[in-house]
Formats: sequence, C-alpha cells, structure tokens
Amino acid sequence: MSHTTTAPAAPKAFGGGRSPFNVSYGKIMMWFFLLSDAFTFSAFLISYGTTRFFSAVWPDPNHVFNSFPFLGSGYPLMFVSLMTFILILSSVTMVLAVHAGHCNDKQGVVKWLLWTIIGGIAFLSCQAWEWTHLNHQGAWWGSFADITSPKDVYNHFFTPAVLESATPEHLSQSTNNFFNFFFTITGFHGAHVTSGVIFNIMILINTVNGTYERRGHYEMIEKVGLYWHFVDLVWVFVFTCFYLL
Amino acid sequence: MSSHGSHNDNIQHLYEGDQSKLYSGVLAHHHDVKSAESKAQVAKIWKVTLILSIITIAEVIGGLYLYHYVPKWFINSAFLILTILKSAYIVRVFMHLGDEVKWFKFCVLIPLTLFVWFIIAFLYDGGEWKSFNENNPARYDYHQTK
Repeated sequence: MSHTTTAPAAPKAFGGGRSPFNVSYGKIMMWFFLLSDAFTFSAFLISYGTTRFFSAVWPDPNHVFNSFPFLGSGYPLMFVSLMTFILILSSVTMVLAVHAGHCNDKQGVVKWLLWTIIGGIAFLSCQAWEWTHLNHQGAWWGSFADITSPKDVYNHFFTPAVLESATPEHLSQSTNNFFNFFFTITGFHGAHVTSGVIFNIMILINTVNGTYERRGHYEMIEKVGLYWHFVDLVWVFVFTCFYLL
Repeated sequence: MSSHGSHNDNIQHLYEGDQSKLYSGVLAHHHDVKSAESKAQVAKIWKVTLILSIITIAEVIGGLYLYHYVPKWFINSAFLILTILKSAYIVRVFMHLGDEVKWFKFCVLIPLTLFVWFIIAFLYDGGEWKSFNENNPARYDYHQTK
C-alpha cells in the first residue's frame, strides 16, 4: 500500500465517501419519481396508439380541434398551438427561476415563479375551455356508445369522405374510444399541471418568507422545476399523439 | 483501502444534515446574476426557447397544410423526430440532465429506451387485430365491408 502515501488519486465514482451521481438525495428521488410517471403516461399513450391501430376509422384532429374562443370554428390546431406555446413559455420562466436560485437572487426567483404560476393557470383555463367546448358537442367519457345514432352526431369529428363511407359501428366505436382516451390522458396531464401550480405557489411563499435564503440554497426550486418541466415534456408527446398524428 | 474507512466516519453526520457537502452539483457553483457566466446561461435558455418555438410552428404547419401533399408515413416520421428533438432539448437544457454525471444520465435514459420495444410491439399488435377483423369471415365487420 505504498501508493497511499503519494499524491491522492481522483476518487472512484463508486468507491464510497461521496455521492457517485453527484446529485442530492432529493433530486435523485424526484428524477426517479418522474421516470415512473413517464412510464404511466407512456402506458396511456401506447394503449391509445394500439386502439387507434386496430380501429377501422379514427376521428380527424383537424376536425375535432378547430375552434377558437370568441372566433368560432374554422381554426384547426390554432387553440392547441396557443396552449402548447403557453406551456413552453412557463417552462422557460421556470428554468429562469431555477437559474436565479443558483445565483441566490431572491427577487429573480419570486419574479419568474410568479410568471410560471400565471402560465400554468392560463394553460388550465384553456384546457377548461376546450373540455367545455367538446362537451357541448356531446363528447365525454363513454359518449357516442349508441350505434343507432344518426351519422350527423359525428359531423364535428370526421372528414366528410370518411363519414360517408364508414359504418355506424365503426364511427361509434372509434369516437367513443377517442374521447375516453382524450379525456383520461389530458385529464391526467391537467391534474399534474394543477399540482405543479400548487407546488409552485408553495415554493413562492417559502421564497418570499426567506426560507431558502436562510437555508443557503434554492435547491427546492430545482426539484419543483424538474416536475414542472416534466409536465411540459408530457404535453409535447400528448400534442403529437392527439393533435398531429 | 483503509482510507475509505476513515472517510466514512467523518461524513456520516452529513447524511442527516446538509447534503450539499456530499456532492459538487450545480448548487455548489454560486455565481453572481450579473456575471458573464450567468448571462451566457440565460442567453442559452432563450436560444433553446427560440428553437422549441420554431419546431412547434413547423409541426403546426405540417399538421395543417403539408399532410395533404406528402405521404402519411413521411409526415408522421417527421412529427415523431421533431417531438423527440423537442423533448431532448427540454431534458438536456431545461432539466439540466446534460450537466449531470454520466452514470446518472444512464440511470434515467436506459429504462426509457426500453420503451421503444414496448411501443413497436403494441402498435404491431393493434395492426394485427385490425387485419384479423377485416379478413376473418367469422367477424361481424367482414360482412359489413364485403
């Protein structure tokens, strides 16, 4: 063991005495929670994909999502693009809050957290409008299950050519499946946004009260920030699966 | 060998207290808001914002107009690639996974790559059911579509 007396070598990652991941326990656990949450969302989206793949027809997103508040219909994808943009911007303001935290800049953290909370509430309001709008068109969990309904009830959801050629059974089955998945997945995502807004409000109160200033670091902003970015990340996939593909 | 043993006794109390001394992550590098390093970071955040916005606009244009003119498989592949690109930017820059150590990146990313097979297997299964429904004389749909 003569080499122990010479200049100390760089410690091995798993040699003990330090965190091999170089991350605090809280942040590791947030990452692993998000990993498990990603599995849940992926399972939802994959079952949506499987159902869609075995369906003879499927609602056309450009027909389902073509309304804009106060402007009426005929604006395909515009409203959901606005929602996507709001969520991306709130992710940006969150990462700026985390950055301000690294700099121990309390005023910056407060300012950017406020913007993030406003973005989150704006997104939830948009989603509430969209759900209400679709509900007025007859869509909900378990809707369109009646195969004896006339074809006009599907007018809002299919292209005229598909509506013409599809059987009532196929229209009923696919529209029912589509909205069950739509409300379940965007609802589960919306529940994440809601709890994210609540966490953001909690850490904003702690920041204003100087809790993190006394603690000497703003790591809690980082941990909640990870959660918030994950919510944005899930929306990126929901946007692709429901509105684009 | 013995050097590890003596370390363990010294750091034990840290596990119950301030953990920031156990690692030298991003938190250990406090810098001033007005420093050049901080300004470069903020500039990078806004650059990524711009990229994410451009990708989203491109996706919407694809979803609105392009899909009339290009093959379905092509536009869908483009959507998937752009989605993965967007999520990579969010995870790498916004969630700072790019700044973590190699081992930690693997712990997060390897389980997710296993999902690729999950997706292929289930979509293939869905497609098989569709062709079964359409081609099997015992199925109700067969008589409908004939």
